[in-house]
Amino acid sequence: MMNILQTRLIHWKRQWVSLLFWLLFPIISTLLIIQLTSFIQEDSKVPVGIVLQEDTALATTLYESIKQTPLIRVHDLDEHEALAQLEKHQLDSVFVIHNGYEANIQKNSRNHLITSYRSDLSFAYTPVKEMIVSFVQQDTGRSKAAYIVKDLSDTYGGGQQWNWKDVVSKSVDIQKKEDLLRTTFSFTDGSPTASDDEVIQFKPWGLWALFSLLSTLLLFDWLIKENRLSILPRFAFIRISFKNYMLQNALFYTILCIIFDGLALLTFYFVIHEPISLGLIAAMLSYRIMLNAGAFVLAICFKNLYLYYSTSFALVLLFAISSGAIMPIDGIINRVPWVEFLNPIYPFLQNNVVNLWLLLFAVWIISWYVRKEKFDA
Amino acid sequence: MLNIDSLSKSYGKKTILDELSFSIEQGEIVGLVGENGAGKSTLLKTLATLQLPTMGTITLDGMSYGTQRKTVRKNIGFVPQEIAIWDEFTVEENMVFFEKLSWKKKNNTQLKQLCLDMNLEKWKDPVKTLSGGMKRKLNLAISLIHDPTLLLLDEPTVGIDLKSRKEIGNYLKNQAINNGRTILYTSHDMDEIIHLCDRVLCIGNDPFYQEILKDAEKDVIIM
Ligand SMILES: Nc1ncnc2c1ncn2[C@@H]1O[C@H](COP(=O)(O)OP(=O)(O)OP(=O)(O)O)[C@@H](O)[C@H]1O
Ligand SMILES: [Mg+2]
Repeated sequence: MMNILQTRLIHWKRQWVSLLFWLLFPIISTLLIIQLTSFIQEDSKVPVGIVLQEDTALATTLYESIKQTPLIRVHDLDEHEALAQLEKHQLDSVFVIHNGYEANIQKNSRNHLITSYRSDLSFAYTPVKEMIVSFVQQDTGRSKAAYIVKDLSDTYGGGQQWNWKDVVSKSVDIQKKEDLLRTTFSFTDGSPTASDDEVIQFKPWGLWALFSLLSTLLLFDWLIKENRLSILPRFAFIRISFKNYMLQNALFYTILCIIFDGLALLTFYFVIHEPISLGLIAAMLSYRIMLNAGAFVLAICFKNLYLYYSTSFALVLLFAISSGAIMPIDGIINRVPWVEFLNPIYPFLQNNVVNLWLLLFAVWIISWYVRKEKFDA
Repeated sequence: MLNIDSLSKSYGKKTILDELSFSIEQGEIVGLVGENGAGKSTLLKTLATLQLPTMGTITLDGMSYGTQRKTVRKNIGFVPQEIAIWDEFTVEENMVFFEKLSWKKKNNTQLKQLCLDMNLEKWKDPVKTLSGGMKRKLNLAISLIHDPTLLLLDEPTVGIDLKSRKEIGNYLKNQAINNGRTILYTSHDMDEIIHLCDRVLCIGNDPFYQEILKDAEKDVIIM
């Protein structure tokens, strides 16, 4: 084993740049895409100035609601500054939440709660205004309901005293618990996205899985490069058969890949705050072994490098599309569910350790191994 | 040492080797000649255990090819007609690579000496940059790492200059005389064959080779 590792190191010594590149490729590409999409999204959001004149609970909640809207980038400013920026078209529109906002809502007075400003170049003024108005209406509606409940309990209620605050907070609770609208829009992942504060959201692990597929296939070109007819006779006169040589080297590659998978885990944890869990680690290990076994099976079927490369790219593209990482394919999945089932990336994205493909590849490799070797007839 | 008894080899219906019987003694250098396609490589590959004979038995020092294949292999050094080395490696890396996987351990000094013995001095040079002759020498050196007693060489000197040819020839002669190695090798260079070999095996019924060898008063076996 040590000896074979030493022969592998002779190969790696010559290829370390490309080796390192492909090992790091999934990590770097995933981070790049994640950072780039969030950067582009930040840049394409509508800049809106919000002037908050009071810091009561209702006013702050309204402010937070606006801030959490996906398409808006909120600038927190004072009125003077906000209007100056609006004039310079640095802001699309400005909304002033006036002093007395909460008090007015509690008094059930709906006048002069918010003042809005727009410039002649405001293109998103109307939708943003509509949205803010709907937030305010939600608050006033809730407040009004609270007064009615209070009145009712004053008139008919027994000993229990209802106050405005309790009713409002109760109604917020109920709203949270029973969301009327729930979207099940997803990329690469069967579960609904955790929060919809992003317009396009790539799952880092989905991207990583795809890039790993590509890099693993390209890393395993050593099998084709070293499977030379001319060198084969040598293996009859050394300690190790060619099949054993290939299998053990595949093992070294797998160990190397696992080390870099660990690096991916840590990098994603520290850079984009992806949580680490035992389930994820197990699924990752299973996915890695499946990938390498698959690359092994594919590579021993090929003699021509370029044919192998093109097949690899085609496969990655196929799985990228059928996993929904590039475009949503809910429509297809709903009609032909086995598309998902056939995708070898899918179990990993579901944090599943059991992967049918892994089993298939393992059986394949074992049957290949027990078949007689060329020079061992 | 090497005994071949009614050895036949066919590819499908095409019979290449037809009931060959001969034996080679230890320390002998035996040449193998015949026109292109006569079956020289086929015979060498069969004797190197890389192919099964269709019929017949072969033994090396009493070991049967049929039942003791692995042990037989440890005693064979085979130099394939096609150069079998890693192009992208240096001479040193090639030697170390195959030493690591070899039955016999050798240190770097020993490996380097093996190359020097046949005047292959470019230890650190990538194989890509070597001349054809140098590659042939390396091809031979790798086959000798495990100190085999029987050397089967398929055109070890093809396409190389006279000087390298002489160096390889001298090396082989030396191995046979001083180390008692048995050598069976093919070449299309009749001068080399005549100069180097104790006996010559002639495959095929081409009178051309037979006459040249008769003129040189060589001990010829015609098969
Ligand atoms: N694997 C094979 N399958 C079928 N026929 C083969 C195979 N290998 C060799 N032959 C045929 O067997 C014959 C002998 O080939 P071989 O390579 O042994 O000739 P050779 O004497 O070494 O020729 P050369 O001088 O060109 O090296 C040729 O006709 C060749 O086409
Ligand atoms: Mg030949």
